[in-house]
Amino acid sequence: MGVAIAAAAIVVTACGGSSSSGKTIKIGITLPLSGSSLASAGPARDGALLAIKDFKLDGYTIETVVLDHAVNGVHDPQQGAKDITSLVSDAAVMAVVGPFNSPVAKVQIPISNEAGLLQCSPANTNQDLTKGNAGLQLRAKNPTKINYIRVATTDDIQGTAVAQYGFTKLGLKKVAIIDDTETYGKGIADAFAAEWTKLGGEVVGREGAPKGTTDYTAILTKFKDAAPDAVFYGGVTATGGGLVRKQMPQVGLGSIAYLGGGIQDGPKSVDGSFINIAGDAAANSYSSVAAIAEYPGKADFETKYKAAYGVAAGAYSASGYACAQVVLGAIKTAAGKGDVTRENVRAAGVDTATTWQTVLGPVTFDAVGDTSQRIISLYKVDMTLADPNWVFDSQVNYGQ
Amino acid sequence: MTALPATSDAGRARVPVGRVVKLLVLIAIIVGIGWLAVVNLGAKQATEQLVNALTRGSIYALIAIGYTMVYGIIELINFAHGDMFMVGAFVSLSFLTQLGFTGAVTDLRLLIVLLVASFAVTMTVLALVGITIERLAYRPLRNAPRLAPLITAIGVSFILQNAVQLFYGPYQTNSPKIFPDTWTLQVGEATVPVLSIFIFVVAIGMMTALQLFIGRTRLGRAMRSTAADRDAASLMGVNINRTIAITFLIGSALAGAAGVVNGLNYGVARFDDGFQAGLKAFTAAVLGGIGNTVGAALGGFIIGFIEVGATAMGYARWGPAIVFGVLVIVLVFRPTGLLGQQLGERA
Repeated sequence: MGVAIAAAAIVVTACGGSSSSGKTIKIGITLPLSGSSLASAGPARDGALLAIKDFKLDGYTIETVVLDHAVNGVHDPQQGAKDITSLVSDAAVMAVVGPFNSPVAKVQIPISNEAGLLQCSPANTNQDLTKGNAGLQLRAKNPTKINYIRVATTDDIQGTAVAQYGFTKLGLKKVAIIDDTETYGKGIADAFAAEWTKLGGEVVGREGAPKGTTDYTAILTKFKDAAPDAVFYGGVTATGGGLVRKQMPQVGLGSIAYLGGGIQDGPKSVDGSFINIAGDAAANSYSSVAAIAEYPGKADFETKYKAAYGVAAGAYSASGYACAQVVLGAIKTAAGKGDVTRENVRAAGVDTATTWQTVLGPVTFDAVGDTSQRIISLYKVDMTLADPNWVFDSQVNYGQ
Repeated sequence: MTALPATSDAGRARVPVGRVVKLLVLIAIIVGIGWLAVVNLGAKQATEQLVNALTRGSIYALIAIGYTMVYGIIELINFAHGDMFMVGAFVSLSFLTQLGFTGAVTDLRLLIVLLVASFAVTMTVLALVGITIERLAYRPLRNAPRLAPLITAIGVSFILQNAVQLFYGPYQTNSPKIFPDTWTLQVGEATVPVLSIFIFVVAIGMMTALQLFIGRTRLGRAMRSTAADRDAASLMGVNINRTIAITFLIGSALAGAAGVVNGLNYGVARFDDGFQAGLKAFTAAVLGGIGNTVGAALGGFIIGFIEVGATAMGYARWGPAIVFGVLVIVLVFRPTGLLGQQLGERA
């Protein structure tokens, strides 16, 4: 029996100064914030809250509504739909930061699009959320009024980057692929496979297993027959990324490389993180993050973050911060034009002519809301650290 | 008469001809599938996948037996049973972690002591939890309308899941893999983990012990007579409450054993593991003929084989669909399941 944990709503009054009287506007944050999801999405929330805390706008009180759509510790599209609906129905909510996972975005975008509510995701990467016919279908209610933007680049680029890294830099030739059958996992696995073949590599196996799967030994045994150099996992830790790696030694695949996108989620000491679950098997694992790692204001941001929360910034902290900067900037622009309404905020946020000066560097959004910053960072697991963790390896800029 | 007494008598009473034919058909099917597997996959992978299927099937079978025993004796579909398995996994991992073991134990004597201890501790704890649940949640509803205990079972399932989630959080918790991964046997070209053989032997051993217990002991006879006719058994001096409690005790202990095995094999546990496992075990019990312990074990192994077989053939995404497809087909031709004899009107 699945137990739905009631999503907790936390209202934070972020601005306490004397100038804070006047109209109250709210910023919604919709992220998966429990279980294995917390390890990666928690830092994004904290990044966003940090930006909102610093923000002041005369004549307005800014409040934050944080909603958690993780059910049983894993992002849940149904809960995500409920949360965005409740944000839409609160007339004071002017913009939303989130969601984190593409399957959730897929159900949230049609709802926020219909309401004309600006939504900025720090981490969604599935290309079908914005591009082509698939993107058009999600915003069928208001096809021309883009309301969804994101600071992470798309999986056609992310999958490509991991494939190039594995093939060229790690020198791997034969790869077996397993995905979690979700929007994100299957999408990035497809993009990875396409690029891998194009580079001249061989895909020796392709399987899918949904979240909740506990036994991957049969799939891995099948893979072993083809003697792959690496296994690519399309999905996140919460849907099985750690379990697959953990079971690889059991069937004799423990020594080969493990590639993934977005399984980079924290050190071993964090419960439910990839390295925590995979344990010793986590060595020789590599993951991409669809975000810039070496951004201009990095040192300052990390100091500020650490001072605020007492822990180091996560892979998505700066992305969360940047998203909040964009929506706050849009609110400010709307205020400058006379009134902070959803339509004014939305129009300002998705304006393709605006260059946003974010913590990640200058960002513009294209006609469908995708970021101009097409940068993928690659991380690898370092088991020699006292608390084994992901360490930054390199970042690749795919240009405009 | 339910299936429970019928099958346990099978070994001793005269064997009907129909049963022999069925057994031969079953063997023919198994040999046929095995041959197909070797041809399609090669001997190496066929052997390794066979071992995977037996390991997975052992876990399903151990859980399914508890499901079927409870149904056999009080006709309750105990939805909390899958969660008992999950609780077993957590008891076992807490026990080993508390003792300070986190990784493989290569000292054979220590390993044996630890394995015996974790089975003993987990099965004892689960047995106690099982009879407590029976006493508090099901016994007061013994004579209530059938829907009441069923809904109570769902409630118990929620309580167990949430209690574990409260203590361990909603993510995978590591369970110490004390059995070394590096211990393997070479069978031809195939590499077979010793752990898988151990799991299979433990499961078969426990099931055999259970059959002997049901078939040959006074308590077993009390269980069979209670299953057959509770009122008559009561008139013959069988202590019904105690007998039902013992059924829960045994079923829960076996679920606990499955939890230990699961932790050893996969090295993780999650508070909602019981849902999937319970669903599979329930399917296994229905497939084998609910109320029939041998049938439940058989059903468990069949589901293990179907899932692993589908994966080996490249249809991993279709595994669950094939499992339920087979269930539907079996129920169309044998509504009482493979080894089921007679069912109550409400299944």
